[in-house]
Amino acid sequence: MTKITIDGREVEVDPKKPLIAACHEHASNVPMYCYHPGLSPVGSCRICQVEVKQGETPPRVVVACRTPVAEGMLVNTEAPKAHEARRQCLEFLLKNHPLDCPICDKAGECDLQDYAFMEGQGEGRSVEPRRKLEKRKSLGDVIVLDQERCILCSRCVRFFEEVTEKPQLTVAGLGARSTIETFADRPLEGNYQGNVADICPVGALTLKPFRFQARVWNLDKFASTCGECSRGCSITVEVLRRSEVKRLRPRPNPAVNQWWMCDHGRFSFPRFNTGPRLAGSLIRGTDGLEPIELEDALDEAADLVRAHGKPLLVVSPWLTQEEASAARELGGEGLFLSPAPSPLKDDFLHTGDPCPNRRGLSELGFAPVAPGEALERMRRAKLVFLVGERAAELCGIEALSTLPAWLRLVVFDTHPLASPAACVEIGVPDSCERTGTWINVDGHAGMLSIARSAPPGVAPLVRTLAELQRRAQGALAR
Amino acid sequence: MGPGKPSLPAALVRELEELVTHYPQRRAALIPALHRCQEELGGWLAPDTLEACAAFFGLEPVEVFGVASFYPMFHLHPSGKHVVGVCHNISCALRGAEEILAEVCRVTGADVGKVSPDGRYQVQRVECQGACTAAPMLVLDGVFHENLERAEVERVLGTVPKGPRLLESLR
Amino acid sequence: MSAPLKRETYLLSRVDLPDSHRLAVYKANGGYAALEKVLTGGHTPAQVIQLVKDSGLRGRGGAGFSTGLKWSFMPDPAKDPRPRYLAVNADESEPGTCKDRVLMEKDPHGLVEGILVACYAMRVKTAYVYVRGEYRQSYERVEAAIAEARAAGLVGQKILGTDFACEIWMHKGAGAYICGEETGLMESLEGKRGHPRPKPPFPAGFGLWGQPTTVNNVETLSNVPFIVLRGAAWFQSLGTPKSPGNVLIGISGHVERPGVYELPLGIRARTVLEECASGVWKGRSLKAWLPGGSSTGFLPAAKIDVAMDHDSIKEAGSMLGTAAMVMLDETACTVRAMQVIARFYDHESCGQCSQCREGTQWLHQIFARLERGQGRREDIELLSSLANGMAPGKTICALSDAAAIPTHAVVKHFRDELEEHVRLGRCPLASPHDVSDWVAEEAHA
Repeated sequence: MTKITIDGREVEVDPKKPLIAACHEHASNVPMYCYHPGLSPVGSCRICQVEVKQGETPPRVVVACRTPVAEGMLVNTEAPKAHEARRQCLEFLLKNHPLDCPICDKAGECDLQDYAFMEGQGEGRSVEPRRKLEKRKSLGDVIVLDQERCILCSRCVRFFEEVTEKPQLTVAGLGARSTIETFADRPLEGNYQGNVADICPVGALTLKPFRFQARVWNLDKFASTCGECSRGCSITVEVLRRSEVKRLRPRPNPAVNQWWMCDHGRFSFPRFNTGPRLAGSLIRGTDGLEPIELEDALDEAADLVRAHGKPLLVVSPWLTQEEASAARELGGEGLFLSPAPSPLKDDFLHTGDPCPNRRGLSELGFAPVAPGEALERMRRAKLVFLVGERAAELCGIEALSTLPAWLRLVVFDTHPLASPAACVEIGVPDSCERTGTWINVDGHAGMLSIARSAPPGVAPLVRTLAELQRRAQGALAR
Repeated sequence: MGPGKPSLPAALVRELEELVTHYPQRRAALIPALHRCQEELGGWLAPDTLEACAAFFGLEPVEVFGVASFYPMFHLHPSGKHVVGVCHNISCALRGAEEILAEVCRVTGADVGKVSPDGRYQVQRVECQGACTAAPMLVLDGVFHENLERAEVERVLGTVPKGPRLLESLR
Repeated sequence: MSAPLKRETYLLSRVDLPDSHRLAVYKANGGYAALEKVLTGGHTPAQVIQLVKDSGLRGRGGAGFSTGLKWSFMPDPAKDPRPRYLAVNADESEPGTCKDRVLMEKDPHGLVEGILVACYAMRVKTAYVYVRGEYRQSYERVEAAIAEARAAGLVGQKILGTDFACEIWMHKGAGAYICGEETGLMESLEGKRGHPRPKPPFPAGFGLWGQPTTVNNVETLSNVPFIVLRGAAWFQSLGTPKSPGNVLIGISGHVERPGVYELPLGIRARTVLEECASGVWKGRSLKAWLPGGSSTGFLPAAKIDVAMDHDSIKEAGSMLGTAAMVMLDETACTVRAMQVIARFYDHESCGQCSQCREGTQWLHQIFARLERGQGRREDIELLSSLANGMAPGKTICALSDAAAIPTHAVVKHFRDELEEHVRLGRCPLASPHDVSDWVAEEAHA
């Protein structure tokens, strides 16, 4: 480790990382465009200017991303000359940049807005016409490119080249006529396109599914974990007006996903906005499934256990460790649904395993079972508890709907199930509505957060299961 | 050319296989290779040409496109059969480059930056060609015509072969 | 009045001989004697580097850095055994400059011999000659010279029967000025866009393919055989103490006899203008001039007596650069000239650095408006302010400085002309047809 002083604070920093990384790690706000900790540094945008002094040589202003740290270096990120250099840089960047803020999706999380506010001069002096380029160029199903907004930081080019190891974008032309292009207007390919919209500092690369969907300052953001495969990328769930999930974005996690997530996970959120939800509980009456209070549903379920013994537990692979522990107390044999591997498996993030908590469930004694086999086991059981978000979906809604009426099925799920076998249905929160832990493929724990309220009448599944266990205690102990 | 990915003609491939041996890394031969591709394949770098060149080097087409687009000598759009460049930089500008350019446009019928109506000439402004002490000048199919007087322009432009140039392409 | 400078021709001493580019003519006129001297006369590579250092030879590509010192930056092969390279910068693209071309077309063997001695000194086994794509004849002549030299056992393995081996390969550029910048050249030679690299690291530590590399200009290398044969003291007897040797001075623009002339450094600019170029043309008088290519910035006519050496021109407020003098007579408009020059940097900026990419375009747009008569008084201050934002040392390479320096110079020396354009709402010197190129401007690719 190397000792340097940043803004009067003596700190120890990693000599393998550039000065800008040290500044950021020690709470010094140095602006950046072309630099990104997950990409090679190029030093082209020139915004990350700080003043450094080494030994007896007079202080000089340098770009922090291309400056190696050296023992005894004195760094002043707030020096007037550094601010002046950044101010000049911003005036140049804003000269051609279109005044799109009122219609730009990036507004509110735009590094050009933010740094112009922090370091800029308030008014530009250019009276020259701005360059005219393509403003809504489709790059495929995921990304739309606005070449006028682009500040040519080249992060997107480097992302495909270095992170996915397959170049797909280039800077074409040179000078002020440079533009970002694909080859021969071909669309982007692959499962990682969305990341370039995250790392684009401005609104040049934006997500088609998010286009004009929300103003980011109206979104409430919560740290969570993606459940689309066993990688469990750290994500942020972003909710509009406390109800609609509008966006999922990756959250930096050096141990799991660095700064990235795949498009499959990123665009899985519409599921969270799909109704109708199982809001409350249902019980099979003479005319089909009828609403009932949770208390009564729990009593009914407990009665079923007393009458027929421990149930066969078929749980969703989306069950958290906390829920699975509670469910195990109810059990009989515990199985978790293990659907077919996904063809999206790659060398990067997607594990191909659609079970976000396979490892955790296995550690708790649940055995994996393919949906077809699960149905077979269900047909031979006296009482079945189908537990957890997406359990019915992963089992197969159609297949479940063909189960015979004499089969006693208690469903704990997010959406109602139309099946003659279902005698009690209890609503559960989805993974945006509960806390809990999943264990990923490498053994890392990923946390869920409550990003919005579950529908009224839906209680946390851990509590529901504990309540049920309490009521059926005697029967379960036998 | 037929179905499947574009590839360079065999003779050109043989030539380029020799060229790459001059360098410790194959890719270093890319820009000289692009010159040869442009010369042999229609006087410009069509998307198929770029893709074939990329395949030769084991690069993605987008990388080759990015490189080619950086260099003014590479044409990424079909050019006229004969490319005429008039230097408009300082030494030439001081000695009548604009008059030369106007005369070139008049004789060829082409607008600056465009191909002439008969397709024979592509007229462009170019930056300093290194003929400053022999200004003004024009460069026609890569050959410099220096110490040029306006009255000579028509004769110089007429030195190109009359018939269409034999074009070869990947198609 | 100091003693007159010694006049002696060596660089261009062979160029008027018939077939001067052929090996037989070269050999008959002292060719390859320097190579033989170092290979068989017991000069160690380190001794050759010291000799070049002692001579005081400064790079002739525009920067004027001590050549011997640059060579000494190459690491000791015992400590760094990686492959190493010499890249010959034959990308000559600085507006006004056409002197390397003379050497390559008319005395290519002189360059080849210089390359070989340099490679020997720096223990380099592979050299690349990066020739700008437009220089067809230069490329063909140097290529032919290498082939002749190879056939004569002067290039390749076991040169002159010794253990010295050196391959020289030709490499063609494709028209980008920025590839004359040493790190832009290396990027281009590697088959990429010619984006200059931030320094540090420097080429001697991290050059072509990350390996030790020296980049030298054509004229610089052509001096080397003469220094080997005639010695450091001889070289220092020419030119000035801090700028020794001869230099190829180009003079173009509004003069009777434009041309490339070999003269000692320190010669007065007026001597070049009046003796070599026969004065300003058409009986007119001098108004403004560039000493060393468009990056160096205009000087007023009053400074025509300055000595053409690095320090004197710097003191006069400009730079020696490539010693490419461009002369403007009283009918020339400096604003129009700056519009042409600013347009060049706008076209040639690689686009990496924010200040250069946007600033070069902005400067061009302002000069164009001023020349069109659409300038405002505040544009003059704006030019200076933008130039201050672009340089010095604010960008990866010096192209930004190259656009800023002439901007500062024209504001300093020709402010009244700028102001007159604003006051009149037109160029006071423009003839009607000059306006036509604005219409065609947009079409430039």
